[in-house]
Amino acid sequence: MARKPIIGWLALAAVLLGFPLVFNGEYYEQLAAFVILSAISASAWNLVGGYAGQVSVGHAVYFGAGAYMPLLFYKLWAASPLLGFPAGIAVSVVIAVVIGVPTFRLSGHYFSMATIAVAELIRIVVSDWDFLGGAIGLMGPATPRGWWDLIWRSSLPYYYIFLAVLGLLLYITHRMERTRLGYYLRAIRANDRAARSLGVPVSRYKLYALMLSAAFTSLAGSLYAAKFGFVDPGSALGILVSVQMVVMAALGGAGRLLGPLLGAVILVPLQTTTNSFFGGQGTGLAFILYGGIIMLLSRYAPGGLIEVWERFQARRDAGTARRSAERNGDARAA
Amino acid sequence: MILLQVIVGGLLIGAVYALFSSGLTLIWGMMNVINFAHGEFVMLGMYAAFWAYTLAGIGPAGFVPIAALLLFILGVLVYMGLIRHVMRGPMLAQILSTFGLLLLLRYSAFWVFSANFVTLPDGLVGPSIDIGGIFVTASKLLAGGVAILLTAGMHLLLTRTAIGSQILAVAEDRQAAMLMGIKPDRMQALAWGLAGASAGIAGALIATFFPISPTVGESLAIIAFVTVTLGGFGSVPGAMLAGLLIGLIESLSAFYLGPVYQDVVVYALFVVILWVRPHGLLGKA
Amino acid sequence: MLLKAANVSKAFGGFFAVSDASLEVGEGEIVGLIGPNGAGKSTFFNCLAGDFKPTSGRVFFDGHDVTEAAAETHARLGIGRTFQLPAIFEELTVLENVMVGAFLRHPREDDARAAARRVLALTGLERISDQPARSLGTPGRKRLGIARVLATEPRLILLDEALAGLTPTEIHQAIELVRAIHRTGITLVIVEHIMEVILTLAERIVVFNQGRVIAHGRPQEIVNDPAVIAAYLGRSHARRADKP
Repeated sequence: MARKPIIGWLALAAVLLGFPLVFNGEYYEQLAAFVILSAISASAWNLVGGYAGQVSVGHAVYFGAGAYMPLLFYKLWAASPLLGFPAGIAVSVVIAVVIGVPTFRLSGHYFSMATIAVAELIRIVVSDWDFLGGAIGLMGPATPRGWWDLIWRSSLPYYYIFLAVLGLLLYITHRMERTRLGYYLRAIRANDRAARSLGVPVSRYKLYALMLSAAFTSLAGSLYAAKFGFVDPGSALGILVSVQMVVMAALGGAGRLLGPLLGAVILVPLQTTTNSFFGGQGTGLAFILYGGIIMLLSRYAPGGLIEVWERFQARRDAGTARRSAERNGDARAA
Repeated sequence: MILLQVIVGGLLIGAVYALFSSGLTLIWGMMNVINFAHGEFVMLGMYAAFWAYTLAGIGPAGFVPIAALLLFILGVLVYMGLIRHVMRGPMLAQILSTFGLLLLLRYSAFWVFSANFVTLPDGLVGPSIDIGGIFVTASKLLAGGVAILLTAGMHLLLTRTAIGSQILAVAEDRQAAMLMGIKPDRMQALAWGLAGASAGIAGALIATFFPISPTVGESLAIIAFVTVTLGGFGSVPGAMLAGLLIGLIESLSAFYLGPVYQDVVVYALFVVILWVRPHGLLGKA
Repeated sequence: MLLKAANVSKAFGGFFAVSDASLEVGEGEIVGLIGPNGAGKSTFFNCLAGDFKPTSGRVFFDGHDVTEAAAETHARLGIGRTFQLPAIFEELTVLENVMVGAFLRHPREDDARAAARRVLALTGLERISDQPARSLGTPGRKRLGIARVLATEPRLILLDEALAGLTPTEIHQAIELVRAIHRTGITLVIVEHIMEVILTLAERIVVFNQGRVIAHGRPQEIVNDPAVIAAYLGRSHARRADKP
């Protein structure tokens, strides 16, 4: 792993922090907030799907748990939605355990199939359950009673809060890469049978990755509910949510720290544009596009754009090395 | 009496589940690949039937083979263009490949066919039949009957014919099969073709009594997953048995709990199976 | 008795790949497992390593009953194994591959890295420690597989065809490495096809055929055992060997 120079990190931080100052106006702020929020979900997915290599295609269930809990707390007790954040995380972690414990001792397909089934199951149940608002969903406070309701007219505060959470998540991920957990997850992804033979408790570590991933995905869902003040089964538990996480992480580079952010930066504006261009049909078109992107990635670049870039760099470096060797050879001959 | 009717109905639809699931389990056992787009294959079979009838007036006797052929070709194309290349790579790439295909097929169907339900006319196959007090629609009877025959036929094809044993040989041990002069690539493409065809036929049969829409694949895919898991990895007889069971359970759930919860029961059952007996009824170790 | 397998059988469906096989390995020994293709050696090996659960019989390591234990537990208790097709972690560097092994005994990254570097020095891989593992050829991969398992600080290593696919020079180097490992006190159970190798390395040999142990003893005894010759070459050869 090459170490990125600190200058690169500072530049990135500067761009992210300064973005709304340069591109100001509600349109850009809203877009930027949505990019960062998507990056949080995708980076959370990345922990289990990218680093550990366990492909969840039903991650919406954690997002939805995180999204529903704050608004449920508001509905039941007029409480601040903030109090629902930990509840969402708790529910998500429980779901993660229910899915992960039986499937992680089996081959990877069982896990992926189970994620689809559980996501659908919960979506159907929630859609039919009046307590959770049924098909209509739940709404949060209309006007803020204090800062703890997390309601602001402008998208700017949300943008910076989301950025802080993303920063935290990426920091944790970065630190994890250098610990035993990080190495073990990469070993599990590379070859879990060999990992077992070296004493890696494979099922347990996959579960850790999933639980951590579920917790952060839930947090993203809670932040979503705070900003939009409204959730329903389609927006919080639907397959689009799951697909977006996967395609953004995979496009940027699954298993890479900044892959999901890269994917979000590319796809969120793209999706917003096609939506406004094609209206309602835009969503359908987005899915077709995502499907195509995912298929092409799987066939030609499973490591995403970061891998493509690295391959390009490697070929260029090899070319440079060859040319400089030839030049040196000529110099000696002369 | 009503209960008996529910049971018979459940078994008939279960036979159809068995049919398309047997194709899925064949691929799974052979190449360790799960086709996440399998539900979409069934959906396309349904549309093939609908359009054959609507555009050309072709009845079930014609549109079932048409669906079979079209989906056979699609299966082979998917294998040759995609699966063959991702099969031996990382798991992420494998799963992404057919999941991406799912999205492409389902939402292309939305684009082309629109989200509205369409149906084939009632009684296309025939009137409801009274068998000793139980009413069975002719379409369901045909579907169930054909499905049972074809699933059994697939099993016989695999175990009793030369080409079947070649397919199984590749499933068992690729290297050994190559040494015996069998071309694994060809057998695997054939398996995908068979899986496609079984899904297409199932779709065409279902289309005679069930509303057709692009989202149909979603629940059918999950039913296929439950069925192949319950039946056991790679086992066609297992898929047959499991399909009938799942159809039965679904039918009884619809009867006692209502249509919304029939799916929920099956999905919840999936989780239970994974906890309790993930290797299924007849799976290999 | 460090490793003891008692009447181990392993069936797949109705077919018994291994029937009633027993083996005892004392600390510090080198024991060889040989037999024609399909004789059940690999299956038995995998039962010892914890990859397969025996259908019947028991496996004991250092007093612990490991018959039902997971492969991870085997590794933790001190049984290491290599794979016939080296299952290295392609996306990781050589050093990182070995670190994964080292983490078993050294939870902290610096300690694991230091331990891994020591193992790389021992196995002659330190020059390529930062290369991606996928760039290695067969001999490099085999060596890396051995280095990786050494990093788990095992008491016993099950070597599965560690020398297959190597040129004579590479085989010679590999034998030296195996001997060096043995000298550090690690017990070895080796499955090997190449007769000369196993006859020189192993102190004791166990012969498999059709899932059963058909002979065991010192290399000189095994080579002349008619049952062994029959297994490899067919009955007529055995009879001819008997004639003066």
